[in-house]
Amino acid sequence: MELLYFLIQQTLLFMIPLLIVALGGMFSERSGVVNIALEGIMVMGAFTSIFFINLTQGTMSGNIQLILAILIASVTGIVFSLFHAIAAVNLKADQTISATALNMFAPAFAVFIARIINGIVYNKNVQQIEFINTFRMTEVPILSKIPVLGDMLFRNAYITTYVGILILILSSIVLYKTKFGLRLRACGENPHAANTAGIKVERIQYAGVMISGALAGIGGLVFVVPTSTNFNATVSGYGFLAVAVLIFGQWKPKYILLASFFFGFMKALSNSYASIPFLFALNIQSNIYKMIPYIATVLVLIFTSKKSAAPRASGIPFDRMQR
Amino acid sequence: MKKLLSSVLALMMILSLVACGQKSANTDVAVDAQSTKETFELALVTDLGTIDDKSFNQGAWEGLTKYANEHGISHKYYQPQEAGTNAYFETIELAIEGGAKVVVCPGFLFEEPVYLAQEKYPDIHFILLDGEPHTADYSTYKTGANTMPILYQEDEAGFLAGYAAVKDGNTKLGFLGGMSVPAVIRFGFGYIQGADAAAKELGVNCDVVYNYTGAFAATPEAQSLAASWYNSGTQVVFGCGGAVGNSAMSAAEGKNQQEGKFVAKVIGVDVDQYSESETVITSAIKQLATSVYDGITMYYNGNFPGGKTSTFSVKNDGVGAAMDNARFETFTKAEYDVVYSDLKNGKYTIFNDVTDYNPATALKDLTNTKVTFIE
Repeated sequence: MELLYFLIQQTLLFMIPLLIVALGGMFSERSGVVNIALEGIMVMGAFTSIFFINLTQGTMSGNIQLILAILIASVTGIVFSLFHAIAAVNLKADQTISATALNMFAPAFAVFIARIINGIVYNKNVQQIEFINTFRMTEVPILSKIPVLGDMLFRNAYITTYVGILILILSSIVLYKTKFGLRLRACGENPHAANTAGIKVERIQYAGVMISGALAGIGGLVFVVPTSTNFNATVSGYGFLAVAVLIFGQWKPKYILLASFFFGFMKALSNSYASIPFLFALNIQSNIYKMIPYIATVLVLIFTSKKSAAPRASGIPFDRMQR
Repeated sequence: MKKLLSSVLALMMILSLVACGQKSANTDVAVDAQSTKETFELALVTDLGTIDDKSFNQGAWEGLTKYANEHGISHKYYQPQEAGTNAYFETIELAIEGGAKVVVCPGFLFEEPVYLAQEKYPDIHFILLDGEPHTADYSTYKTGANTMPILYQEDEAGFLAGYAAVKDGNTKLGFLGGMSVPAVIRFGFGYIQGADAAAKELGVNCDVVYNYTGAFAATPEAQSLAASWYNSGTQVVFGCGGAVGNSAMSAAEGKNQQEGKFVAKVIGVDVDQYSESETVITSAIKQLATSVYDGITMYYNGNFPGGKTSTFSVKNDGVGAAMDNARFETFTKAEYDVVYSDLKNGKYTIFNDVTDYNPATALKDLTNTKVTFIE
């Protein structure tokens, strides 16, 4: 049992950032704008919020600091994603190109600014932003006493796990139970019809991209905090992985939850299988575990491509003049 | 509106470019070599990482700037725009056009570029760290009279770190490597043999889990791997591969917090990494700065040791385990000095042939150590 709890706790470390970022991607794509800039937005979100943690280290309690950092990451994400929104919605540019530009810009910008600020504050010209991880909660009071679930979710956990779950619930409600959600989905499927019905398509698309920016920014922070002791201007391709989760999850919140759990669990397994005796005895190389999520993604795409749930207008610039 | 927006954006870009230009003129980085007549006698071409990678580039740059500042010599570093022999060679040429007399190339990736450059520029001197110049297919090794290749005996540094860890009372060790390149393999092999030697002296048995993560980056994967080792009882993990070590430190911090005591420890690599985390007990170090400094000094003194490989080992104090900021419980500086001189005097022989990267099959003489190799 100990081992299973450990495995679940490790899974959460992989799963929560993927979940948050993929949900962000979902809002953008369901409004009709493809957003593969998630990687770059993650870098920017992590960059500003980790800098905030670095500069305010020791002045407040861990969880308050982390919540403020989450806010900063989301604001950064929104601001950065506006570049994509301007290119995609106002200028009707190719969305892949503008997103790629942001992906290339973000790490370079982070390195450049980090050096300047590190130079001013610490008088050393380095690009790594160091932080002390004071956010791990050994156990959550009361809740950790719940049998099974308490051990899985409320020990050695981060507050970000619950933020992720909260985002999931809110996303489902917003997407399916609100007027805004309906309009958002309409714009992703048939923006011209939505326009005829009096919906301001551009505004909705702006909102979609900005929500994706906020969530991807948070995802970047959530990704970095448990994995390292410094931020080195990279999120190791997890933004792109989130796009795979989004597709595997068929652009729907509940499937995205399952997809991110599946990806996270396989990732955790591929790294810790050596300490699980019966799996180690099977003598399967870790590379096999690492491949499984991707093979599964391809298979799902093959079998669902006929009736794929991809938003129809996703990636096509909305043009009023076109009918 | 659209026009206004685009012109504002364009203006911002231009302004930011101007701002960068002014900024860099004041720093070491300096402006492009072609746009100025200024020349730089000492040049460093960076490896894949950046100048502040806390490893090869940074160590070499420290040695170079130390000499340059002491003697008032102009110096500059160049960062290749991309990886690969051609890009590296072009960057070396750029440095030479910029007036370089000595070009320092940190890292084995420079073996081919230096092989090409030493022939084309016989008047320029090259210091190559961690490699020997050869052709792309490894068929011809040739070191020109203007080239000083420097190799480090990583296995000795690893040996000292592993020995110290076991002498300090640990018996369950881990090795989290980067890519399975020769330097990393030698570190790992030395580490295991050092642990074995100490275990033999203490009459205990020890276990080593061993893995190459395949990258030099801090990833959730590396963190998760280290966390799973700590969770199954591993006490010390040697994080050997750039930022991979940071993932090990993160995992160790988590374990210590969970247990409420200092049970998970990390050994750093290349430079003394004690400041990066409270969990770092020591580091297996190479004296990168010293070797570059020595090489440049010899060049200016007219006795540049070109044409043959210089090896930095315990014999000339070129490698070691960091003791100044060590966080051992019982292992003392005196004990370290004993094993260090024993190693110098040849009491221990270390197997360091890297043709087989799997220590479970390559190291046959282990008596008290069981190695679990994880693919």
